[in-house]
Amino acid sequence: MVLPFLWMVSTALMTELEVYQFPPKFFPSQWVWSNFTEALTLQPFARFFLNTVIVAAATTVAQLIVCSLAAFAFARLHFPWREKIFAGYLSTMMVPAIVTIIPSFLIINAFGWMNTYQALASPMLSSVWGIFLLRQFFLTIPRELEDAARIDGANDLQVLWRVILPLSRPALATLAIFAFMGAWKDFLWPLLVTNRIDMRTVEVGIANFSSMYQTDWPHQMAAAVVVMTPIVVLFLFLQRHFIRGITMTGLKG
Amino acid sequence: MTSPTRSCIAWLVLFTTACTGQEITLRLANWASLEEMDLDRAAISEFERLHPGIHVLYEPNPGRQYEEKLLTGLAAGAAPDVFLLDSKLIPTFTNKNVLLDLTPFIAPLNIDTTQWFSNVLAIARRGDSLFAFPKGFTPLMVYYNREMFRRAGIPFPRDNWTWNDYLLTARRLTRDLNGDGTTDTYGTTFTNYYFYWIVWVWSAGGDVVDPLGMRATGLLNSPPTELALHFLIDLRRQGYAPDVGSWVQAEKTGMNTQLFANGSTAMLLDGHWRMPVFIKYVREGRLDIGVAPLPRHPSGGRTNVMYESGWCVPVDASHPKEAAELAAFMAGSFAARVRSSQFLELPAVRAIAEEIVAADTTGWEAAFFREVPFCRQPWGSKIERFSEIEWTLQDAVDEVMLKEAPMHETMTAYAARIDRELESIRSHEKMTFAPIRQHTEILGMLAAVAVTVGGLVFLLYLRAERRFRSGTARAIGFLGPSMVHLCVFLLTPMAFSAYLSVHRWDIVVPDTPFIGLENFREMAADPLFWNALTNTLAFSLNVPAGMALALGMALLLHRRFRGVAALRALYFLPSVMSFVAIALVWMWIYHPTFGAANYLLSFVGLPPLQWLNDTQTAMLSVVVFTVWLGMGYQMVIFLAGLQGIPEELYDAARIDGAGSWQRFKRITVPMLKPTTFFILITSLIGSFQTFTSIYVMTAGGPVGSTDVIVYHIYKAAWEQLRMGYASAMAWVLFILIMIASWIQFRVVGRNIDYS
Repeated sequence: MVLPFLWMVSTALMTELEVYQFPPKFFPSQWVWSNFTEALTLQPFARFFLNTVIVAAATTVAQLIVCSLAAFAFARLHFPWREKIFAGYLSTMMVPAIVTIIPSFLIINAFGWMNTYQALASPMLSSVWGIFLLRQFFLTIPRELEDAARIDGANDLQVLWRVILPLSRPALATLAIFAFMGAWKDFLWPLLVTNRIDMRTVEVGIANFSSMYQTDWPHQMAAAVVVMTPIVVLFLFLQRHFIRGITMTGLKG
Repeated sequence: MTSPTRSCIAWLVLFTTACTGQEITLRLANWASLEEMDLDRAAISEFERLHPGIHVLYEPNPGRQYEEKLLTGLAAGAAPDVFLLDSKLIPTFTNKNVLLDLTPFIAPLNIDTTQWFSNVLAIARRGDSLFAFPKGFTPLMVYYNREMFRRAGIPFPRDNWTWNDYLLTARRLTRDLNGDGTTDTYGTTFTNYYFYWIVWVWSAGGDVVDPLGMRATGLLNSPPTELALHFLIDLRRQGYAPDVGSWVQAEKTGMNTQLFANGSTAMLLDGHWRMPVFIKYVREGRLDIGVAPLPRHPSGGRTNVMYESGWCVPVDASHPKEAAELAAFMAGSFAARVRSSQFLELPAVRAIAEEIVAADTTGWEAAFFREVPFCRQPWGSKIERFSEIEWTLQDAVDEVMLKEAPMHETMTAYAARIDRELESIRSHEKMTFAPIRQHTEILGMLAAVAVTVGGLVFLLYLRAERRFRSGTARAIGFLGPSMVHLCVFLLTPMAFSAYLSVHRWDIVVPDTPFIGLENFREMAADPLFWNALTNTLAFSLNVPAGMALALGMALLLHRRFRGVAALRALYFLPSVMSFVAIALVWMWIYHPTFGAANYLLSFVGLPPLQWLNDTQTAMLSVVVFTVWLGMGYQMVIFLAGLQGIPEELYDAARIDGAGSWQRFKRITVPMLKPTTFFILITSLIGSFQTFTSIYVMTAGGPVGSTDVIVYHIYKAAWEQLRMGYASAMAWVLFILIMIASWIQFRVVGRNIDYS
């Protein structure tokens, strides 16, 4: 499990010559910390981070809101064709992105959004995957809790906000992680909708160390290590919601 | 001066400044690496200095996605004004009239076409037209390790060395230095990569298709071609070349370069673009290299190939003259001289190439330069979609090399297959249509989708019984944001691809002629499509196995104990890490000669496997990797699901005396059903759509054994530029996934008790 990660870190600390040693070495003979500073200064990585944080944060917040609303409708509200509409939503997951990416690009281009944050973020502001995930969790929350709130005069939004969401913290944490990570690690889309270097994201920055001719492994790995750190931190921060017993305390009796 | 005169003059002045002072902006794109970018910028600022009214936006896209980027730009009518094109795209682009003919600009702009090597310039010439100004090129040369030659007492290769010299050298340099029975240094390397072996075929006097590019039969299965392939495959069989897996593995890991750079192989056939790496080592005193031409075969003359790139202008450029001027400048001597400090290629400008040779004391550049007159145009720069044929040719070599199929029978069968493929490519190009030029208007489609969905929603509202009206209205409100998003970014692209599935669209041209069910008919008759479909189904079998593992992991990690956070993060790491980095590590693990997987096998006394480079094990290897990769994702969702199970249920069961297995069976499994169902559906959809791991690790090989449907779609769309056919396949896949999901909803979904 950790081996690839260790390999990544040790490569990030090697000189280029050492990477090309054979048999491959697992530990650098001297630690080249300058790989990190070089990797981050060879390209405007500060700017890449800023762009990526903006896009990932917007994506995460938007998905939490949009997916909660939709999932609540599918899990809790009664309206005609509910299951059919839900199936329609799900079916959109089944078209491979390879054939939808060109039309999506045409749309963004027709909107005149090239090289903008809205171009980077807009395709990810909602996610059928997230709606499906939250719906599954909302369905497991006992109706009695909702009924009690309704008797107290709560409307739909209040039920969602006061009853459903507090009980769905593990699911919301999961969605937050994957929404953030999806935006953070996205590669082809940011590459397509940006032409200017100052609008690019971290993943494109990492890929830039691989040219048509060869790959600069030490710098690429150094950049990759730095780039993955925020997600690991975010995961460590959010994973405490996966401890049994916290969420269901309200269920006693 | 009277005031009307004055105002006239003022207008005149204003008018002329508006004309001359108006700044023209040109976009210029290429695949420059980070090191090249500053050199390009230097050349561009010189151009801007010479042409005050023109501003150049520089858009470098290093890496292999440059093509996708360029094609998407062309599809949207938003291509750069000047772009670099690999010569293998020239035939497609010229046949489809994507490129501007540059000949009319040569005289007015005073461009001297004799400054370029004539055979390099010829690559982009079609009749009297010229579609690119050449930037640079390279033949394939034999780099050799002089230190190893010296130690073995072998003279350095000379320009007239022969195949026999090459073979003897390779044999003598393949050595077991420490006497432990395994080879420590190898003579050379060989993979099935067409890109490198075609020169040997030419050298023996053979070829893979006839001079007009019409057929392979009689050429691919001719004695000289088979002789060359036999010679090369034998290098591996005799152990003079290490087993480095497939070319995909070797290229992605940089394996062959690594082996040569650290003195494990003595000779490496490669282009000029390896020079920057080698020069670094030479300067540090770690490597002592020489450069020799391709050895000659007694029956053939001296020959080589020319891999080239040039600057093009799209046919609809808004400032064609200025763009042509910029393209010529970037291909001209100033830019060539600036770029020469990178050593990536030979410049197409002869005078600059001569300058470089004169300034070089090592003799390497001179060796490259002497090879120029013998360079041939690669087939890829002559035949449209030749990259498809290259894949087939690589499969043919794999059949013989990996599956030990007899040479002549295999080549004859593959030649027949290539004849059919060439025929099909030609017939596609010749298809005639009603001459309507229609550009599919994406915004119109978006409007149509929005109106349809809006109408349906309104209908839904009307259909609801009166007492449900307010609830329905509220539901519509809750679904509103996601529905708008769905319309724009999913339904419209889906409608677009549905439209394309009954049309033909070459991406780079706006015409989308209607062809009815032709795409579907072709698909049904295409054995490769069925092969990809079967492979996809086989691949999807990984889902249950992976889920079982992930559930086990989640059960272990959902308790509170010291270090649980770190352990969870650890298992989640694969999902977080840069995909390219992990895929690379796994390609190392699977390496047939040096990999950890075979090392483990040797511990338990099992014979080594070929892993990714064997039709029997390649798919399994990818599956193992996928399971490992997807485990973190599934585990996190299982963890979230486990939190939803009230502790009281377990307490009650414990009181009733249920054992841990009983508790798992009676409580955990049923309570986890919604989660399990979710993971099953999403993972299955994911595995039906698996693409990236195949794209990175195997490219569908060997011999199509890991070609999955989405990879197949990708190749149709981005390599063959057949977006209509790709969309048709995507719709078939879509329907298959729908059926599979529907069955699951019926079988599994119905049994879920949500209360």
